[in-house]
Amino acid sequence: MIIDTNAYLGFFAFRQLRHNTAEGLLRLMDEKGIDRAMVSSASAITYRDAQAGNEEVAAAVDSHRDRLIPFAVINPAYAGWKDDLKICHEQFGMKGLRLYPKWHNYALSDRPCLDLIHEATGRGMVVSVPIRVEDYRQRSWLVDVPDVPLDEIVALVRACPKARFILLNGIGYTRTLLGQKNGGLPANYWIEISRLTALLANEVGELVSRLGADRVVFGSGMPFKYPDPSLLKLEVLDAPPEVKQKIRSANAARLLQPQR
Amino acid sequence: MDTTGFVTRRSFLGTSAAVGLALAGRRYVSSSAGRLEAAEAEAAADSSGAGGKAGPVIDCHAHLTHHSRKDYQERDRKLIEAADKLGIDQLCCSILTPRRPATADGFRQCNLWVAEAMKRFKGRVLGYCYVNPGYTREALEEIRRCVEERGFIGIKLYNEYRCTEPVVFPVVELAIELRVPILHHAGHGHYPFPNQPRISDGGDLAELGRRYPEARLICAHIGGGGDWEWTIKALRHGDNVFLDTSGSVVDEGMIELAARVLGVARLVFGCDMSMTAGVGKIRGARLTPEAKQKILGGNMRRLLEMRG
Repeated sequence: MIIDTNAYLGFFAFRQLRHNTAEGLLRLMDEKGIDRAMVSSASAITYRDAQAGNEEVAAAVDSHRDRLIPFAVINPAYAGWKDDLKICHEQFGMKGLRLYPKWHNYALSDRPCLDLIHEATGRGMVVSVPIRVEDYRQRSWLVDVPDVPLDEIVALVRACPKARFILLNGIGYTRTLLGQKNGGLPANYWIEISRLTALLANEVGELVSRLGADRVVFGSGMPFKYPDPSLLKLEVLDAPPEVKQKIRSANAARLLQPQR
Repeated sequence: MDTTGFVTRRSFLGTSAAVGLALAGRRYVSSSAGRLEAAEAEAAADSSGAGGKAGPVIDCHAHLTHHSRKDYQERDRKLIEAADKLGIDQLCCSILTPRRPATADGFRQCNLWVAEAMKRFKGRVLGYCYVNPGYTREALEEIRRCVEERGFIGIKLYNEYRCTEPVVFPVVELAIELRVPILHHAGHGHYPFPNQPRISDGGDLAELGRRYPEARLICAHIGGGGDWEWTIKALRHGDNVFLDTSGSVVDEGMIELAARVLGVARLVFGCDMSMTAGVGKIRGARLTPEAKQKILGGNMRRLLEMRG
């Protein structure tokens, strides 16, 4: 069993994506042996009204809910986010959020953002934060969106100790408090592997060693990225099978379990 | 031998055959539908999985560690271990000076260390001679020494000069005489690359290739040089410029676009130290096993055989 915590449906404004329909993504998952995936709208990253993207995802996954787990993109700086959250959770059955503070032009420390995380956590939803969407070196001439600095993530996990965060598309955690064994941070965040190394510097292995195997989760970034590099990391990672199993699916499955 | 965690050469290639089999008999809609369908059908017809005799897998872009780092031996050993795990037979390596532009003493020292590593990891490490073309006489002497006396396989140029600047031409002319390729650092962004005012891009390399049609140039790291779609399109008509697939960026469709626009024969596999990214994107590409074999080693081997 493999659960991908980092997958998308829809269009991205700056590059053509393939395998970006529910059927296309499921075909790709079948080919790669990926059983389930947490999916959100790629289109919602640049839609002004992100809720339109959530509606598209809800419709797309409707007959595939056993495999595609919908996540909502909510912009807490935009009108009506509380209504959108309620609809995404109660009507669309979305299990978590994806936040894009730099693309949507708000700070993770803004009151509305903290309120959103508080409300989502109260609903038992997981909050994922993509540190970046694409490599910054290829960014369009139209937009210059920076990565989310990891020190802003440090402040966020401190500010919301009851929330559960999945950090996507990040790297360099071991150089911050997020990757320290005794960093003084709540154990309320999980780190996804798609940009981490499993050889040479081996940040995956380092994080397993420092934070524990319960805190690292599989993710590919498909269909933005080939899923194969992440799958290959699991193959070559120097770790016992039970550790790999936690990364592959067990940790993500636990995050998806209903919260009291 | 315990092979847990090791990737076999068959697994580089078998995935694409499996994809082909999975897709056989139905149309697959993609941006490059016609050609990919043909490639996938071909893969489907190859039930052997490995797609014929496999040659060596050659990483065209790797780096050994500068000896100013105390742990250089361990880091070099880890690189070889990573290559072992991933089924990479040979690594084409250079050492760059920590500070650039490199001095003549600086690049000569780097190349001496590469020569030592070629002996230490005999048959695994192949050497690129790194020079700063601004030191014309010293650079040309160093290239000749490294290729003719030490058995280096090519030249590595970085960003001291844009490759179309005349100061680079004597290096290219010597590469032609010695029949060795030049691996050239490159990138194209829509914002300036910090601290790299003279970085070359795919358009520059195509221009250099037109000026010197006998040269064999390799445009470095399509997955580490900014807008890769721009780079692929800029290289379209640069027939003697090869494209190195290395870099940490693993955007889906990158390798297929390069194969479609440039042709498989112009792609050479590399990692540039992003090991699973380098291997994973080739594994994930929807190309035939034969095409992957050419990218993984066949094309680079042809470049290495130029020298005889």
